[in-house]
Amino acid sequence: MSKEVVLELKNLTMQFGGVKALNKVNLQVNKGEICALIGPNGAGKTTVFNVVTGVYVPTEGEVLFQGKSLKGKNRHKITKLGIARTFQNVRLFGEMTALENVITATDVHNKSGLMGAIFTTPRSRREEKASREKAHEILKFIGIDHRSDQLAKNLPYGDQRRLEIARALGTSPQIVLLDEPAAGFNPSEKKALAELIVKIRDRGYTVLLIEHDMSLIMGISDRVAVLDFGEKIADDLPSVVQNNPKVIEAYLGVPADAS
Amino acid sequence: MNFNLRDWGASIWDKANKWQRLAIGLTIVALLFAAPLLEKTFFNTPSTPFISVLFYPIGIYVLMALGLNVVVGKSGLLDLGYVAFYAVGAYTAGILSLHTKLNTWEILPIGIVLAMFSGLILGAAVLRLRGDYLAIVTLGFGEIIRITALNSESVGGANGISGIPNPPTTFGLKFDLENQVTYYWVILILIIITVLMIRGLSVRRPGRAWESIRQDEDVAELMGVNTYKYKLWAFAFGASVGGAAGVLFASKAMFIAPNIFNYNISILILAFVVFGGMGNIWGVVTGAILLSYIPERIRFISDMRMLIFGLLLVVMMNLRPDGMLPRKKREKIKQVGESNE
Repeated sequence: MSKEVVLELKNLTMQFGGVKALNKVNLQVNKGEICALIGPNGAGKTTVFNVVTGVYVPTEGEVLFQGKSLKGKNRHKITKLGIARTFQNVRLFGEMTALENVITATDVHNKSGLMGAIFTTPRSRREEKASREKAHEILKFIGIDHRSDQLAKNLPYGDQRRLEIARALGTSPQIVLLDEPAAGFNPSEKKALAELIVKIRDRGYTVLLIEHDMSLIMGISDRVAVLDFGEKIADDLPSVVQNNPKVIEAYLGVPADAS
Repeated sequence: MNFNLRDWGASIWDKANKWQRLAIGLTIVALLFAAPLLEKTFFNTPSTPFISVLFYPIGIYVLMALGLNVVVGKSGLLDLGYVAFYAVGAYTAGILSLHTKLNTWEILPIGIVLAMFSGLILGAAVLRLRGDYLAIVTLGFGEIIRITALNSESVGGANGISGIPNPPTTFGLKFDLENQVTYYWVILILIIITVLMIRGLSVRRPGRAWESIRQDEDVAELMGVNTYKYKLWAFAFGASVGGAAGVLFASKAMFIAPNIFNYNISILILAFVVFGGMGNIWGVVTGAILLSYIPERIRFISDMRMLIFGLLLVVMMNLRPDGMLPRKKREKIKQVGESNE
């Protein structure tokens, strides 16, 4: 299988004042894989997501998406190109129904705008219908279609997290960035989520995943990259990373007699 | 208070089929066109001619509240200088009717376009700001327009423009002091068109975009909403509605001056929107009707009326902080298994 690189971070440095949140990070995410990004708190994982999606402008280095630089691209343009994300703390449009949340995301590829809506042009009508159907289809795929007419803020926590994923998929992305999708889940929910992420990958999406739960990561990831204090310290198969002394050190600290 | 007027109204609408809806709509429109008949009843305003009250303040203010509602209520952009677009519309009517042979109906689209254009210019400059900062800058813009008019002798300075002609007789309907009901009908038609447009926008892509911007602008942008563009459109739409109100006001009043367009109007219109229920068309319309009608109805107690008006606002906002008819999406909760999973 030839490896097609979907997302590539090149020498990415992100500096906030005196703090280097990311320091010359290089990372490649291949098409069709689940790549996990792990590391202790404050290692810079979410910063990677924020730089990739255009929230932050990197101090140095660049992000390549399908071989093209994302430098200077607006956030919504980046989303339109095919990068979607979820958020560490659920950030849904609470006053909209679950369905509307997803439709809002599908709108990114629609062409009709203000005039289309005012005069109900055939194109607007067609796109509205297609978006609706697509949103239902995604909700069904995620398994929360029965919630479609409920307000997002009234959904149970687990379904809110799933809806975030559904909304990200609504933008028809090439790659989905999931930021701690299992946070606050119990073991059985985590297992269901792991299956869902595999299902998402099998559907043809590439997944870049931030997660703290090691058993989940080791179970489903094709590759694991480890960040510590803004630097990448490992990037390999899950089983290899698991036994990497540097990774163990980053997570557990240095043994007293070894230093 | 379990009874909810809005839900009650919406449930009737939901149950109705296409023809019933058409019938309900036409009945309401017919009743609205017949509103001048209320002159002989309790609702008559004692100190001012009822029929002219229907046009101004009620009709004009309802129209402006609808326009501002798109900006403030739907998109969450606090605009404190909305009167500026009203002024642009009115001055367009004043200047063009004096220097050209265009009549009101020909000026109306020009006024709308110019107001929209000024909305776009203002929006392009200030929409990178958010929240309080946006409010301050728009407040300033409202004042700039007024003060510019005040200091420009070419538009009459402090004396304003007088002798603006009334609209010509159209379809046999006369527009003058004796036939004021025609003005009301015209503004009613404009209001209905605006309501239909906003309803069309609300349930489609622009409405969703505005709604998402109001709720979380950053996330909206990350979900692919071109937030800047849609904020600009919200501004432009609101501005053009304000411009339309301005043109009609000028052609009825025949006289405009800068002090008519002071920032009180902006605040008043904002009060209608908040009082009625931000984001809800029917709430905003009801709020604007009530709040512009009541001061006229109790005009006979002259000095006291503004006190009562203020008291009403305070009491109301305490009892119903989200406005009379708040925006709240109604949910349909399906049982699991009901959907075709």
